[in-house]
Amino acid sequence: MKLNISKLTQYKFKEPKNKYLFIIMLLSIIIMTILLPTSFLRGSNIQSMASQFPEFGFLALAMMLAMITGGIDLSVVAAANFTGVVAAVILNSANTAGMPAGTAIFLSIIAVLGIAVLCGLFNGMMIAFVGVPPILATLGTQGLFLGLATVITKGYSIGGFPDAFMTIGNGVVLGIPIPFILFVIGAVLVALLLNRTKQGFNMYMLGTNPTVSRYSGVDNSKVIIKTYIVTALLAGVASIIMISRANSMRPGYGSAYLLQAILVVVLGGADPDGGFGNIPGLLMAIITLQVTQSGLNIMAFSPFFRKFMWGFALLLVMAINFIAQQYGDYKRVKRMKEQVAATAS
Amino acid sequence: MKIKQLFRHSETYVLFIVILFSAFVTAINPAFLTLENLFDLLRSSSGTAILAIGIFLVLISGGVDVSCTTIAIVGQYISVNVLIATGFDNIWFAFAISMLLGVTLGAINAVFVSLFKLPTLIVTLGTSSLYHGAMLEFVGTKAVNVGGLPQSIKDFGAFNVLNVSRPDGSTFGLSVFFVILVVIILVTWFILKFTMIGRGIFAIGGNLEAAKRAGFNTRRIQFFVYMYAGLLAGIMGVMHLSLIRYSNPNYLVGTELSVIAAVVLGGARISGGSGTITGTMIGVILITILEKNLIMIGLSSYWQQFFVGLVLLIGVSITYLQAKFQDSGRRIIVKEEE
Amino acid sequence: MAEVFLEARNISKTFVGVKALDNVDLTIGKGEIHCLIGENGSGKSTLIKIIGGVYKADSGIIRIEGTELRGMQAIESIRAGIQIIYQDLSLFPNLTVAENISVNQMLESNQQKVNWKQVRETARKALAEIGEDIPLDERVESLSVAKKQIIAISRALTQNAKLIIMDEATSAITSEEVSHLFSIILKLKQRGIATLFVSHKLSEVFQIAENITVLRDGKLLGVYPSSELDEEKLAYIMTGRMLKFEPYRYDEQMKDPVPLLEVKNLAKAGQYRNINFQLQKGEILGIIGLIGSGRTEVVESIFGIDGADSGSIMVSGKEVHIRNPRDGMRHGIAFLPEDRLTQGLFDVQSIGNNIVITILKSFLKKSRMLDVRKKKQAESEWVEKLSIKTPTPANPANSLSGGNQQRVVLAKWLATDPKIFILDGPTIGIDIGSKHTIHEIIRDLARQGMGIIMISDEAQEILDNCNRILVMSGGRIIREIKDSTTISRDELLDVIAKRVETGADA
Repeated sequence: MKLNISKLTQYKFKEPKNKYLFIIMLLSIIIMTILLPTSFLRGSNIQSMASQFPEFGFLALAMMLAMITGGIDLSVVAAANFTGVVAAVILNSANTAGMPAGTAIFLSIIAVLGIAVLCGLFNGMMIAFVGVPPILATLGTQGLFLGLATVITKGYSIGGFPDAFMTIGNGVVLGIPIPFILFVIGAVLVALLLNRTKQGFNMYMLGTNPTVSRYSGVDNSKVIIKTYIVTALLAGVASIIMISRANSMRPGYGSAYLLQAILVVVLGGADPDGGFGNIPGLLMAIITLQVTQSGLNIMAFSPFFRKFMWGFALLLVMAINFIAQQYGDYKRVKRMKEQVAATAS
Repeated sequence: MKIKQLFRHSETYVLFIVILFSAFVTAINPAFLTLENLFDLLRSSSGTAILAIGIFLVLISGGVDVSCTTIAIVGQYISVNVLIATGFDNIWFAFAISMLLGVTLGAINAVFVSLFKLPTLIVTLGTSSLYHGAMLEFVGTKAVNVGGLPQSIKDFGAFNVLNVSRPDGSTFGLSVFFVILVVIILVTWFILKFTMIGRGIFAIGGNLEAAKRAGFNTRRIQFFVYMYAGLLAGIMGVMHLSLIRYSNPNYLVGTELSVIAAVVLGGARISGGSGTITGTMIGVILITILEKNLIMIGLSSYWQQFFVGLVLLIGVSITYLQAKFQDSGRRIIVKEEE
Repeated sequence: MAEVFLEARNISKTFVGVKALDNVDLTIGKGEIHCLIGENGSGKSTLIKIIGGVYKADSGIIRIEGTELRGMQAIESIRAGIQIIYQDLSLFPNLTVAENISVNQMLESNQQKVNWKQVRETARKALAEIGEDIPLDERVESLSVAKKQIIAISRALTQNAKLIIMDEATSAITSEEVSHLFSIILKLKQRGIATLFVSHKLSEVFQIAENITVLRDGKLLGVYPSSELDEEKLAYIMTGRMLKFEPYRYDEQMKDPVPLLEVKNLAKAGQYRNINFQLQKGEILGIIGLIGSGRTEVVESIFGIDGADSGSIMVSGKEVHIRNPRDGMRHGIAFLPEDRLTQGLFDVQSIGNNIVITILKSFLKKSRMLDVRKKKQAESEWVEKLSIKTPTPANPANSLSGGNQQRVVLAKWLATDPKIFILDGPTIGIDIGSKHTIHEIIRDLARQGMGIIMISDEAQEILDNCNRILVMSGGRIIREIKDSTTISRDELLDVIAKRVETGADA
């Protein structure tokens, strides 16, 4: 059994940690299936899981990109709120003014993406040009974006969108929820960005050591600004899914996603110090979380218990990572010393 | 020279902003600069200031703590429920429970930070979720409103150490909260300035490796920092309860970022090792008047978050732009008079 | 010899199968200035850590003034009067001078409270002991490395030090500061405090040391009074072979009418000025000077790390404007930086990624996507070309030895096919064997027509590998040696130390 897994993983997993993640994911699915033999693997449950996680999955994608460059984006949820509120205002007023639904949806999506680019540009410039650490820059813009969202809505929620808009969040194609399809597309695009583009390559390098990347001719500022623009764009997509699923928008919606996003990103193998993070790991972490959450939900555990579980899981994973790394370092040092000894004699 | 040095610190700028803003608010609405309003500001911001001191200590030691507000609400909610359940209606008892909880939860933070050496932001994000979730799940979710609140807590909230009467005969006063804050400021200042453990907090924030080599017990210092921050959060929890006379287990959580903003605005370095309590208090004052007094100049309270974010961005921008220019000027090799 | 202070006998230490120290002795007299010298990896730092009680020796004994150190614990060594000043100095940048100096004493006395009067008094006294005057309330982060060093020494004095061990104390300070440091060491000697000076630089050793202990591969090679040795002999003892080899000869036929690189009146405020030189195809131009002479700053400007304020740079006769490394690369310039670990190499990333970062553009398909196959191919090609010892380019760079890591950095730049290659300290921290092969690679490149600028601390390395030499000091070029065979090592060292009239710029 042990041998099998190691053989299997030898070829499949580029990232060593993904091996453990894969096992954890399988275990969580198996446990839920055993505990809930009738309800868990039912089509309707799978469908509902697939439509639940994308809005938060997009935020996690965004967070991972920031973390790969050695930063963090505390403003993702706020950016989603801000863009969402703007979209909601457009949709709502278009609806009451009798504008055709298609035009309104088109306008709102353009607005979301346009504002997202501006949000990301602002974050990126604060970090790249002013030199503010990402944690402080995005802490500030979090207040800024959320504040703007609140000012626009005066704290109320905005609803009443064209029916066509609702299909984005609630529609189904061939039994597959549209948010899920969007997420798959998003994840594939981000994976391509990371593994197949110069920007992605440079993000990993910059995250590992910005001085070395500068000395290697990488335009660090450009890489950082682009990263935070993509991050904000992903938050924008999340906001479109959010508002169309809920059929309304209120500032502060989804604030719990911030922690969850950081959690799955770290769980998925990204290093808060930068330089590491990959889509397969992140997907497995998201699936693990969604499966656990849905299972606990069916078993009628409260959302509070889930909150507790998330915190617990985050700390547990980090602690295990630490211990595993110490052990790995120890083994590596030992191996290297032995090699040195072998060549010396 | 002295003045030039003063302007190297961002708290000087922040103090200026505070003064300008106060002058501005007073010009528009003279009610701002009245003793009554000031007393009221002190009463309502003492709790935030106490939380800020805890977070300040953590920042000095080179970490970040986003779990303080959660610890405060856990301390508050559990202590009020214990008071109700036992019928032992005593404010000291409430403080004792809340402080004990705070210290314990702080110690758990320290275990992950110190023993597992994990990034403090992520640890405290995790523990705040853990603590809050556990409390909601295992203790309860129902809010305690003023009718069900133990009398001692209501009395404590209304207790003034100094009373001033208005022309019409009614009185207003300086709340006991302010005294608690002053005591905590003095104690913390003394610890930081005059004890080895206090210097150790600065030392580990400045150079952790060197601190170990010099012989500081870095583990003990980290435990102290997080437990002290937890203790202050516990105190704040009960104060907050007697201030608003309502215990909602979902309150406070989510406000930690504006407290951190206050501390950073006050000049504490996010990378650790540097900052002053005075600066922290100036930062708290700024955040408080921004949050509480926008209405006085005719802006709705919805602008609050926006301005806090804006001021934070301006504050840190000044600090880091200065650092950038100082850095490029430092590598002087050639002596021009040669 | 005077009264013995420290005596270490038959010290051995093994780390997981590797003998780091094998039967090593070390004797230091009271107030003696002793030098411990050896190549990287010779066991110097292991030995001082054992004396300092950081490591425990497997066998052997250490006696301080006749009494044996039994526990071999850090605290025991400190109580016995041994203080180690590590290369990083272990100071607190955010604290004041006074506090940095007295912190160890406060911890030592186990006090819980801080008496600020006493803190200042302790610091003042310690500084006065070596005749220094540094503002007590200054924060340490705003001081120069040399001043920081003085603070570290003062801190050691507060601990009643009788032996101060300085680990690579001169690697980051200027020549004037080095002589100042030496004057402090002499003052310590007058007070009966011994100094163990740990170094791998030969030139300084003779200026200060009374006795020299030489280590190689964990073994003691001998103890010599410094009067009996000269640098050449010492180098021979250290490395076990004569290092002399054929100097690089420049083939004048390669010379073009238009120089490959020409720098005119380059200046940068506070760093360097009046920099003029040319570089021809096939030349290896050496730039030598002490730390702070401006040598690194000049080449960093030419590559674009930190652009110059004024002056012009011409590549193949055309004036170019270089404001960032990308500009430099576009004009065919490559730059191997001084500090491999913080500037040259992504230690945890794969060897392959380290190499291809400079040429990523060439793998982009029309769709702007990377051609991964082509990228992998290039990675393997370069690993093979420079014979980097690794099973696969996918292994992290930190799995390699220093010499192989440097080859990765070389590969990264050679992949850009540069016309001009600037190498700042190409063999720092690399063992002798690898050093030789890296020199060979550099010479080959020059023979093929590349123009090379090489910076080094070591006069011998420059003399052996460069056909022309520029000597820098105080941000200026103080002398050009047109033919490196016309100058001896000693003469060159004299020029560097400004012991002879240069006439060039006076």
